[in-house]
Amino acid sequence: MIKPSIDDLIKSSFRSILKNKGRTVLTSLGIIIGVASVILLTSIGNGLKGYIEQQFDALGANSIFISPGKIFNDDGGFSQNSMATAMTTSFTQKDFNLLNRKLKNSVIMPVNATYADIKSNYAIKKTTEIDGSVEEYGKSNNVIPSNGNGRWFTNEENDKKSPVVVLGYKIAETLFPKSSAVGKKIIIKGKTFKVIGVVDQKGASMGGPSVDDAVYAPFSVVSDLAGNENINTFIIKAANKDSVESTKKEITKIMLEKYDSDAFTVFDSSQLLSSINSIIGILTVGLSGIAAISLIVGGIGIMNIMLVTVSERTKEIGLRKAIGAYPRAILIQFLIEAIILSSFGGVVGIMIGWLGSLGINNFFPAKVTLSSVIIAFGVSTLVGIIFGVVPARKASKLSPIEALRYE
Amino acid sequence: MKTIKSSLKNKIVLELENVVKTYISGNSQFNALDGVSLKIMEGEFVSITGPSGSGKSTLMHIIGLLDNPTSGRVLLEGKDISQLKENQLAQIRNITLGFVFQQFNLLARTPSLENAMLPLLYSDILKSEREPIALKMLTKVGLADKIKNTPAQLSGGQQQRVAIARALVNNPKIILADEPTGNLDSKSGKEIIELFHYLNKKEGRTIVLVTHDIELAKQANRIIIIKDGKIFKKVL
Repeated sequence: MIKPSIDDLIKSSFRSILKNKGRTVLTSLGIIIGVASVILLTSIGNGLKGYIEQQFDALGANSIFISPGKIFNDDGGFSQNSMATAMTTSFTQKDFNLLNRKLKNSVIMPVNATYADIKSNYAIKKTTEIDGSVEEYGKSNNVIPSNGNGRWFTNEENDKKSPVVVLGYKIAETLFPKSSAVGKKIIIKGKTFKVIGVVDQKGASMGGPSVDDAVYAPFSVVSDLAGNENINTFIIKAANKDSVESTKKEITKIMLEKYDSDAFTVFDSSQLLSSINSIIGILTVGLSGIAAISLIVGGIGIMNIMLVTVSERTKEIGLRKAIGAYPRAILIQFLIEAIILSSFGGVVGIMIGWLGSLGINNFFPAKVTLSSVIIAFGVSTLVGIIFGVVPARKASKLSPIEALRYE
Repeated sequence: MKTIKSSLKNKIVLELENVVKTYISGNSQFNALDGVSLKIMEGEFVSITGPSGSGKSTLMHIIGLLDNPTSGRVLLEGKDISQLKENQLAQIRNITLGFVFQQFNLLARTPSLENAMLPLLYSDILKSEREPIALKMLTKVGLADKIKNTPAQLSGGQQQRVAIARALVNNPKIILADEPTGNLDSKSGKEIIELFHYLNKKEGRTIVLVTHDIELAKQANRIIIIKDGKIFKKVL
C-alpha cells in the first residue's frame, strides 16, 4: 500500500501550490504559451484543410484534369519540377480533337490563357491573366454570373470568336468603380470587348489566382489574343462519379499514344486535394513542432521553480521525514506538484488556444480538434513528469538532520 | 536507582551500546560520540544535557533514528535498529517516536488540525479516523478552540502545543523533545514542561528531553550529562 495515498498527496500538493498563486501562474506561463500556440497552429492547419476541401467540393467531384508535365511525384506529393515543365509544354488542337473523338460520354473543356493589359474608360489593369474556355466551363467551375449580373458566354460565341468577356468581382470593381461593368466596353491589345457578365464575389482563395481577379473569354478569342492555338489544360467532366477512375485510365491511354508519360498528368480533384492536404499536414506538424520547443523551455521553468521550492521547503521535508515520511513519499509529493503545475499550464493553454482559434476563425479558417487537445494535455503532463523528476529526487534524498537544521 | 525502579515499570525501552559517531572532514576525524552506552526505561522522564558541541544533538539524532551510528548498537524495545533500511526507520519514527522541536516546525499557512494530522498521513490509520484523533490530541493540549488557526495566528506556546499534539497522534512510546522551550517565554515554557509531566505521569509515556539548560534538565527524573562525546555524569 502506498502511504500516503495518491489523493492525499494530490490534496496536499494543491494546497502548497495554491499558497503561491502568482508564482504558479508565472511558472506555468511557458507551458501555457507553448500549449496555446500548438493548439492554435494545429487549429489553423485543420481549418485550412476543411476550407480547401470545401472549395474542391464546389469544383465538382467528377472533374478530371490533364496538365502538361509531371505534377505529382510517386509519393502523391507535388513533383519538384512540375512548374518548369508546365511552363514549357502545352497541348494542341489535335489533342482536343483526338480526345473528343475517343471519349464519347464526357464533356471536354480546353483551357488556355494569355497575359495582357486591360483598359476601361476609368482604369487600366496591367498584365492580367485572361483565361479562355468553352460554355461548359462556367458550370463546371461554378463561375456563371448570378441573375442581374449578366451571363456566361456560349459555344456559339466561341465559334464566332465574339469579343465578349466575363470579369471577376474585384477586377470589375477596379475597371468600373462607379457602376456595374455589365454591358460596358473594355480594350485588350487594341481590340474592343464587351463585358457580358460579372462573377459573384468568391472571396480569397488559397494559393493560385482568385476567381475575383479572373478575366474569362471564349477559348477562340484567347487563342487569337495569344497568337497561338495552344491548350494549357483540359478539364474533362466524366459522366458520373463512378466513371472518374475508368475515364482517367482511358485518357491516359489516349495521351500515351502521343506523349511520354512524363509529359502530362491526368488527375482528378481528389488527388489534388490529397496532395495539398499532405503539404498542409507537413506545415502544421512543422510549425507545431517549433511551437512545442517552448514546451521544453516551459518545462525547464518548472524544474527551476521546483528546485527553488525544494530549497525553500527543506525544513518541511526534514520534518516530514522525521515524523515518518519515507523517501518515496517525498519524491511522489514533489513530482505531483510539478505535474499539477504543468498540467495546469496545459489546461489554461488549451483554453487560450481554443479562444484564440475562435477569434482567428473570424478572419481565417481555424478549427480545434479533440485529438490536438488530448495530445497537448498529454505532452504538458509528460513535461511535468520529466522536469519534475530532478527536483523531486533531490527532495527525497535530503537527510532529515540536515534538512531540519537548514535555515 | 532503586527509587526509580520501584516507581516505574522495569523494562528497557531504548538502549545504546558503545555508540560511536565519527565525522570526517578532509583529513581530520572527529568523534561526536565516543562510546556512549545508556539505558532508558519505559515510563522514564530523562533529560540529556551538556554544553554546546558536547555531542548531545548527535545523541538525540541517533536516539531519534534520524542518523546511524558509526559503530555500536541501538536497541529499541530490544530490537537492533542500527542496520535497518531507511524505509523501515521511517516507519519506526512514525509509530514509536514523537518529535518536538525547538522551532516547532509546523507547516506554514496550514491549520492546527492539519498540522497535528500530518504523521497520520504516513501511517496505516484510516482516513476517517484521522480527524477525530488529531482533534482529541489538540483537546488534550488545550487547543480545542484553535483547530482552524494557522501557526501565524498562534502564540509560540500554542504553536509548541500543536507540535506536541502532532507528536502524540500516533500514540508513540517515546517523546523526543529537542530544546522544546528554547523559543518560548518562561511562562509558556513552564506550561510546556507541565504538559510533559502530565504525559509522563498520567499516560506513562517515556520522555527524553534534550537541553543545554541545566535548570530545565532538572525537571526530569534523571539527568544524563554529556561532554566531549562521552557520558560525563548520570544524575539521579
